[in-house]
Order: sequence, then C-alpha cells, then structure tokens
Amino acid sequence: MLTEQQLDTFMEEFWEDRHPEHAADTKEEQPEEPEEYRLPTDGLIIRQMTKEGRVSRRTWFALGVMLLVVPLLLYLSVRVFHGRKYLVCSLIVIVAAMLPFFMMFEGRKPKAREIMVIAVLAAIGVAGRAAFFMVPSFKPVAAIVILSGISFGGEAGFLVGCLIMMLSNMFMGQGPWTPWQMFAFGMIGFLAGILFQKGILKARKRDLCIYGFLSVFLIYGGIMNPASALMSYGQVTWASLLAFYISGAPVDLVHAISTVIFLWFLSRPMLEKLERIKKKYGLVEP
Amino acid sequence: MQKMESDSFSRYHPLLNFFYFGVVLLFTMFNQHPVFLGISYAGAVFYAALLNGWRRTLRQSLLLTLPGLLVVALLNPMFNHYGVTMLYYVESSGNWITLEALVYGVVLGAVMFVVIQWFSCYNQVMTTDKFVYLFGRIIPALSLVLSMALRFVPRFLNQLGVIRNGQKAMGRDVSERRLLDRIKYGLQMLSILVTWSLENAIETSDSMRSRGYGLRGRTAFSVYRFTKRDCCLGTLMAGLFAVFTAGCASGAAYAVYDPRIVLAGFTVQGSTAPVSVTPWLAGATYLCFGIFCFLPVMLELYESRKLKQSRKKTGTDIGMTYRQIYEELEQEGKIL
Amino acid sequence: MNIVEIHDFCFAHPDCSSKVLDQVNMEIQEGTLNVICGRSGCGKSTLLRHFKSVLMPHGVSSGTVLFKGEKLAEVDHRTQSQEIGFVMQNPDNQIVTDKVWHELAFGLESLGYDNETIRLRVAEMASYFGIHQWFYKGVEELSGGQKQLLNLAAIMAMHPSLLILDEPTSQLDPIAASDFLETVKKINRDIGTTVIITEHRLQDIIPYADKVFVLDKGTVFLEGRPSEIGQKLREQKHGMFLSMPVPMQIYGETDSSAACPLTVSEGRQWLAEYFHTKGISRELQQKANDRFLAEKTAQQKEQQPSSGREPAIEMKDVWFRYEKDSPDVVRDLSLQVGKGEFYALVGGNGTGKSTTLSLLSRVRQPYRGRIRLEGRDIRTYKDRELYCGCLGVMPQNPQSIFLKKTVLEDLYSVIGGKKEKLSPEYQVHMKKEKAIEGIVSLTRLEGLLDRHPYDLSGGEQQRLALAKVLLLRPRILLMDEPTKGMDAEYKEEIGRILNKLKQHGLTIFMISHDVEFVAEYADRVGLFFEGNVVTSQNTREFFAGNNFYTTAANRMARQLFPDAVTGKDVITCLRNSN
Repeated sequence: MLTEQQLDTFMEEFWEDRHPEHAADTKEEQPEEPEEYRLPTDGLIIRQMTKEGRVSRRTWFALGVMLLVVPLLLYLSVRVFHGRKYLVCSLIVIVAAMLPFFMMFEGRKPKAREIMVIAVLAAIGVAGRAAFFMVPSFKPVAAIVILSGISFGGEAGFLVGCLIMMLSNMFMGQGPWTPWQMFAFGMIGFLAGILFQKGILKARKRDLCIYGFLSVFLIYGGIMNPASALMSYGQVTWASLLAFYISGAPVDLVHAISTVIFLWFLSRPMLEKLERIKKKYGLVEP
Repeated sequence: MQKMESDSFSRYHPLLNFFYFGVVLLFTMFNQHPVFLGISYAGAVFYAALLNGWRRTLRQSLLLTLPGLLVVALLNPMFNHYGVTMLYYVESSGNWITLEALVYGVVLGAVMFVVIQWFSCYNQVMTTDKFVYLFGRIIPALSLVLSMALRFVPRFLNQLGVIRNGQKAMGRDVSERRLLDRIKYGLQMLSILVTWSLENAIETSDSMRSRGYGLRGRTAFSVYRFTKRDCCLGTLMAGLFAVFTAGCASGAAYAVYDPRIVLAGFTVQGSTAPVSVTPWLAGATYLCFGIFCFLPVMLELYESRKLKQSRKKTGTDIGMTYRQIYEELEQEGKIL
Repeated sequence: MNIVEIHDFCFAHPDCSSKVLDQVNMEIQEGTLNVICGRSGCGKSTLLRHFKSVLMPHGVSSGTVLFKGEKLAEVDHRTQSQEIGFVMQNPDNQIVTDKVWHELAFGLESLGYDNETIRLRVAEMASYFGIHQWFYKGVEELSGGQKQLLNLAAIMAMHPSLLILDEPTSQLDPIAASDFLETVKKINRDIGTTVIITEHRLQDIIPYADKVFVLDKGTVFLEGRPSEIGQKLREQKHGMFLSMPVPMQIYGETDSSAACPLTVSEGRQWLAEYFHTKGISRELQQKANDRFLAEKTAQQKEQQPSSGREPAIEMKDVWFRYEKDSPDVVRDLSLQVGKGEFYALVGGNGTGKSTTLSLLSRVRQPYRGRIRLEGRDIRTYKDRELYCGCLGVMPQNPQSIFLKKTVLEDLYSVIGGKKEKLSPEYQVHMKKEKAIEGIVSLTRLEGLLDRHPYDLSGGEQQRLALAKVLLLRPRILLMDEPTKGMDAEYKEEIGRILNKLKQHGLTIFMISHDVEFVAEYADRVGLFFEGNVVTSQNTREFFAGNNFYTTAANRMARQLFPDAVTGKDVITCLRNSN
C-alpha cells in the first residue's frame, strides 16, 4: 500500500515516463523464466482425478453395444440389399452406432451441472469457429472436443463432439453428411476420454498434440473420406476410396495441424479452467 | 436462423413435417429409377422455390451444386469398368469406359443432387424448435442440452463480439497483419470466452435446479398441438405412403445398372425388368409418389386460394356495411 | 403467521475462519414485502441463498431455518422448487432454454405437470406479465429488462408462496429497473406472495416495504418499518445511511422530530415542515443557497485554473449508421472535451450513447464527420499508438477482458508478461513490478492479487478492469457505465480513483445512467438524445436546470436550494441556513 504522496509520485513517473536516477538499472537481465510459464517437471498439466484405468462400466457397455449393433446391421444390410443401397444402409448404421451413447446418457438421468457443462462446451465449439474467422480453415472444434473428453470422460467427449457438428449444421444447413461428422467428432472425443482414463494418453502438451494430429487425420479423415465417396458414388470401391483419400489429404493435413496448434496453446489454460470448474462446483467428488 | 414459417406445410405439426422429409429423403436415396428421381427432383425444386424464391433456388442448384456433381458423376466410369457396352478404350490404364458406368455415375450424381435439394427445404421447414420438440419426448435430456446449446450459441457469439471489441481497445485485434498475432489474439479471445461462459453457466445450472430440474417425472411441454387438420393431412400422407411403398416393394421402381441397364417399365437395349408389377399398380405408385412430392406446394396453393376467397367475402361484407352506413347518412341528411 | 423463521443462524465459508453470518435471527411474516439491506460484503446474498436448499453455498453452518414451521432441510426438493422462487442478479444467466415459451414452462415441466395444465399456467403468466407479444421469440432477442421479467414470470408460473430476489435490477437500466420493481410490488399486492428482496436501488423499494432488515457484519443490526429504520439509524450514527434513499440521508443529518421521509414527495413536505418549525425564513434560505453556490464556484475555479483548455476529444459533425439502409444512430454530433476534464454523457437507453463511445474508441468509424483526439485525427493513429498510451477503454462488462487465473497474472498479461523488457505495450522505463504495485495501490486491489478474477465481487472486478486499462498508460479514459450494479460504497471508491486520475491530467469520458454518481463527480454533463447531444453544461447548472432528469436530492430540495444537487449539497445548505 502506497501512501497518498507516494501514489502521486508514482503516477507522475508512470504516466510521464520520467524515470528517476536510481532506476537506471532497470535493463538488468532476468535470466530465470518467470514462474507463470513453468510446468511441473513431468509436463503433466492435470493429474488423473480418478484412479488409473477406471472407465465407468456404462461407457464400456455403450461401446460394447455399438460394436455389437454395427456389424449386425452391416450383415443385415448385405443380406437384405445384396450390397446395394450403400448410402441408406450406411446412414442407418452410423445413426445406430451413436444411439447407445445417447441412450446411456438418457438412462442415467444426468444432473443439471453435467447437462450444463456439455451444453456450454458444445456451444463454445460452435462459437469458437467464429473466433477464427480471420484465419481460414483454422477451427478449434477438434481441440475442444479432445479437451472435453479428457476433462470430463469419454461419454462427455462423445456427446460434445456430436452436438458441435449437429449444432453447426443447424446453423449452416443440414445434409446427409451430418451423421458422419457427428460420429467422427464423437469418436475423437470418446477415444480421448478413454485413453486418458486408461492412462495411455497423458495430459501433456506433446502427447495431446500427437493424439490431436493422429485423431484428426486418421479418425476424422478416415471416416469422412469414405463418407464423401459414398455420398457422391453411392458405393465404395478401392479406386474411388484411394482417390478420395489422396484428394482429401491436404485438407485433412491442414485440419490436423491447426488442431495441433490449438492443443499446443489451449490445452493448458483450458484444462486448468475445466479443472477449476469441476472443483469449484463439485462436479467431481474427491 | 429462425425464419418466419412462411408456407402452410411448415405450419402443420412437426411430426408430419419430419415424417414427410424422412420418407422423401429415404425414397430418393433408396431408388435409382430415373423417373422416380425426376419426380422427386421436380417436387424438391418447386418446394424450394416456394420457400426461398425461384432465383435463389435455381442459382444455388445450377451454379453451385450441379457442376460439382457433374464432375463427380463423370468420374465414375474412370473407376468402374463393369457393364457390357464399351464406349472408349483408355490406353494408359488398359480399361474400357462403359455406358453402364457412365449412366450409373449420372444417376448417382442425380441422387445426391436431389437429396441436397430436399435438404435445402428441410433446413427451412424443420426449425430448431420443431427438432427440439420432436426429440424432447424420446430423448429429453439430450433435447434439453440441445435447447440450451441453441440458447448459448447466439449468446456466446454476442459475447465474442464484446470480447473482441475489448481486446481491440487494448491493441490486440484479430485483424492484425501478422498471421501469428492473429492466431495468438484469437486464442486469447477464445480463452476469455471459455472462462466467461463456464463461470456464468454455473448460475444457469443453479437456476435450473432452483426450478426443480432433476425431480422425477419431468414432462415435455410443447406449443404444438395435433389438430384435426394435422390428422387429415397425416391420413392422406399415410395412404399415399402405403400405396407407393407397396408399389416399390413389388418392383415398380426396379433399376439395375450392372452389368446391364434394366429399368422397370422401360425396354432398354432390348431387356425388360424381371418384375411382376401390374401397370395399374405401377401407375398408381408413380402418381402417389408424385402427389406426395408436390404435397407442400399443393397445400400452399390450396390455402392461399382459400384465404383469398375468404378475404373477398369479408371484403364485400365490409363494403356492404359501408354502403349501408352511407345510405343511412344520406337519409339522415335528407331528413335534415 | 411466519413463513420463514431463522434462529441463531451462523455460516462460514469452507477455508475461512471468520463467519459470514453470525447469529442471525429473523422472522418473515406471510404476505409481506421485506427488504434486506446492508453494505456489500455484509452477507446479504449468502443469507438469501440459505432460504433454499439447492442454492446453499458450501460451508459450515449452524442454527435453524424454518419454512412454514418445518425445518428447511427436511422440506423436500419438490416442495421447495414449487414454493420458493428465487430470482438472481444476472438476467442472462438464469435463462436456460432458447425460447420464451419454453422458459416459462421449464419449472412446470420439472414438476411434471401435464400439457394442458402447463398451457393454462403459461398463458396465465404471459397475460399477467404482458409477455404474450414476445411469447414465440428467441430469448436472445429480448432486452435486459424483458429477460429479467421473463425470469420472474417463469418462477411465478410455479405459484410460489415465497419469492426471493437477490439484487434483481442491478444489471438493468433505471427505467427497466423501476418497471421491474413495480411488478414485484404488484405481485406482492395482488397475489399476496411473500417477498424478500435485496436491492441497491433502495429509493424505489423501501417506501413500499413492510419491514426492513439492516445487516451489518453478518448479523441483523436493525429491523422495523422503513420510517423507524430512518430514526434508528440516525440515533446510531451508522454508516449505512450512505446507501439509504436520499430523503432519509438528509433527514439523518437533521434533528427533526417528525417521521422519517421515504420518498421525494414526502421529503419535500418534510423539508417545508422542518423549515416552518425551525423558523427559517425565505431570506435565510436564499442566503444559504447563495453562500453555498459561491463556495462551490470558488472551488471549481481553483480546481480548473485554465478555463480555455485545449480539447482532448473533439467530435465534429459526426454521422453514423450500422447498415447502409438503416436509420442514423449518431446524427450530426459535435462535442468537445477539454484536457483533464471529467465529462459524463447521460440519456435514455438506445439513444446511441454506446455507439458514440465505440466511435471514440475507433471500434466503429463514422461515415461522415471528423473525430480528433488530442488535436490529431483519430484515423491517422496506428493501433499501437492509439490504444497503448493514448486511449483507454473500459468495457461495460469487466469480465470480458479477464484472461488469466489470478489477478496478478492478469495484470502482467496486459504489459507483455513478467519479463523486464520493453514491448510495444510497455514503453516505460519503470520496473514492471513497481508499475504494478503502483496501479494496484491506486485501484485498491491489495490483498486480492492471488484470487481468481471471477471470485472477486462486482466492484472489485470493475477496479481490476480499470487497473488493466490503466497499465497501458492512457491519457484519455473512456468508460461505459462504470457504476452499473454497484452499491454506494463501491461507487465512492471508483469516484475517488477517478478524481485522482483527473488530478493527474487524465481526461475522462463516461456514459452513465447513474445520475447521482454523475452529479457527484463529473465536471460537465451532456444530455444525449436521438443521436445528438442536446445540451452540454457544467454539472451543477445542468442538474439545477432540469426538472425531471436530475437527482433525487435536487428534486426534493429544488424549491429551497435550487443549486444543491447531491444529498451532501442539501445537507451543507441546511447547515448554512441554521
């Protein structure tokens, strides 16, 4: 606390940039990095809140149902339509693949705060695209989905991913591509959550960036390229698939790289913010 | 996002709207018979024109969607070489370009084209309100999430504007010349937004709980009511649907392009479709599907005519009263 | 019958040794309108949140809260949701869904009513509150006042017997605020709902209250009817007077034996009566007023020695509209603010004040006309020049510029981190540490440096935002309603800081709805109307000349002391005439 007089002199010096004699040594180098930027030695941004390897049984169940339903439907579609009508069948399959997750979420009567967090994160994802309108094809959606998955678990990651795509298509126009996009982003968030809870993916900048790159390039690209092949040809052949992968690669690459950039800069502040929210409002019981 | 519900079909019950689009889209994707697609396309274009105006519809479909899909359609024969009618031999890859692959490519492109056209109508008619309502019954929690997110998005966008102005006034604008600066300031804006939204959302969840969210037996209120009018239209739609489903099931829309082009009701290259559908049923199928596709347009025309008629009626009524008043006044004047 | 009773209630936050609430005893009668007031930080909001189980803050509590004779903790969630309605400060944060109709129905949906009942209740509420015109609208289209009204209606739809309001009007403009309070009174009067309210706009609600509770240091310090409170406070010489309505403040400084006046009209009558009993003649009044005016003018002269100052802000024939074919928002606006002057722009909502501010801060550009800052055209400044070292802009919502997780880090983030080097943002040869120390001391943020910015109270957040802006060493400070939602004490603190800045030659341009604050601190006031400044005068002349757009103190005493503008002025005049 400065006295009134000290304050007056300070204000004069500060605004007029009048530096008294003894301030000549201000240029002295400060070798040590300010504490603000220092991370723990192992680079972990957040510690595991729950014990390692504890993914809720519900989540596994949803995954199990999905893995059961999808091949069944695929088999049925092959039997009934003899491998034609790819478009319709694949749409049905992809919707069916998402259903177990939705049903699980409904089934457990989520609390107001969980609902809130998912809605807010999804809306941030949609609005976040607008924050970067100045930088073309540079969108933070995948990064937000991954970080939600890590912070709130695979189920929340899946829902946030799905909702973001659903919502942004509500604003920009739906199309047959919506279910695919929903599924692709859902999986990115889901896997992030699962891998983090299993302890495979560490909340470390480098790890996150690698995961971000791979997931966008492999999962998003991996799902969306066949999907666009399907949508424009109604069927998938190796040749057309290859063509779509090759033509889609540059876009996917930009997308993946932008995700890496986002994760590099956003992972720490975002995860800290999410942790604070979790703690402050008792979303996790210690 | 929320347009005025300008046409009469979108004023019907959301369930009917959704059912309509579901049926139309599924049948369009499912059938590859050119006549079927043609009808569907005509219906979609007329409806889109009704909703968005002719100029926008045509510009959108002819200038934006068509060229892309043409390219895609013409590329099909490059990858696929089935079929019996060889057209051209590509020496570099040692493959034939076939008529069947070419036609099939065009058909597939057309399917996509029609589907996109229908979706442009869907986006106008199925407002977020209706969507949330429809799923409020089946998946209440998720539809609430959706409804909340729909509230948050415009709010966050607005706040983003406020944040941007605030940052700009501190000399950090995203329209900075250097790309790195743009990204940095963009990230800062996002970071501010995230904190702001998360911290403020907690009060929202307080407000939810304070209004009893989480109690057992939550219901879903809606402003939509299933009226008699909806009932009539629903029956009509169901009837049409039944007829053309039956028709399609017995092969009225049979179409195969590999290895030969075989179309129901046509003789292409000397071969007819191996289906046992009677001409009567086939005709009924196409007629019903046609009516179904043009249903919204017809509804609109019908209702606007009715409205005009009733206006005319009331209009003359008012005219009569005025005349009576004048006459009365005149009489009074005479008396005076 | 008492609807709520509180006995020996104590509460402390988890890691805090001092109690926020200490031995609170209260009885609220059914059907009454109760006002709880007290300085900020006295535990008002914490107390209110204990009236509803789901909103209780974490912490240690003791004592009992009874709702309709039953322990609150034992009243189930359903009954509490239905019977106890709670309206919070921020209108935006309480709205859950995206449509007005859905918001109205939200609580009823939770309670599990069927469609028909909900339809009836919603229709009833919409008609009672006049919401039916915007029933189908999206909530983002509503104004702040409409949003808060919607929140109230959504709660009233559940037919609560107790309505709790925690500073419901702090985010609203004055007209919307008094409308809202009017509705609250109406609900109490027409339906008989018990109301417990905390408010900082006490002048609008205290006169109508059945009972007032004054909280101080976590305990009920006084309770009683409003006029009794005035008398008791005077006897105790308590600082709470500052936040009381002006007539009560003035009354408190006299030795009148009459009942305490609550409203302006009562105040007028009381003042006339007081003069009559005291035997103060008309001439004496005149003399007192003249003496007061002379003193003030002398003071003013002393403060501003050079009358013909060079202008810091100069707007000339400025026109602006948002869209090409939308109406002009700013029309032919000309304005001059001298260097070192504190200029306040007042006026109704939506007249273009905020737009003018955005023109001055170059967020938007006028399509005609010229704006000069310190004699130089605003368009010729580079961004860095303009925003670092020339212009400081305080946003209306301080939260929109908080970046980091502690106050200290947030302050450093403005000047390019902790590293001691010159950066475009930081061009001073002063150690950053020292600069921050000075600014922190100036804005009185000591002791808050390790807190998260969002954990600060409203007034503290405002000061942090001010500190951030000041670190860029502006010579012109633009502010958008810096006193919104603040109570008297925080306002005084901000006022002191602004005075200090003014002394050091900063030009301050402020837009505000807060007439009392403007009257107290601004040098010159402009009335903004329809995109233009109608009049621009020295503060005293401005308020003394207006009939409606003036302070409560002036309205109350204008016939006796036409030049007394603030409560303090009236009190000085009263002393002069004795």
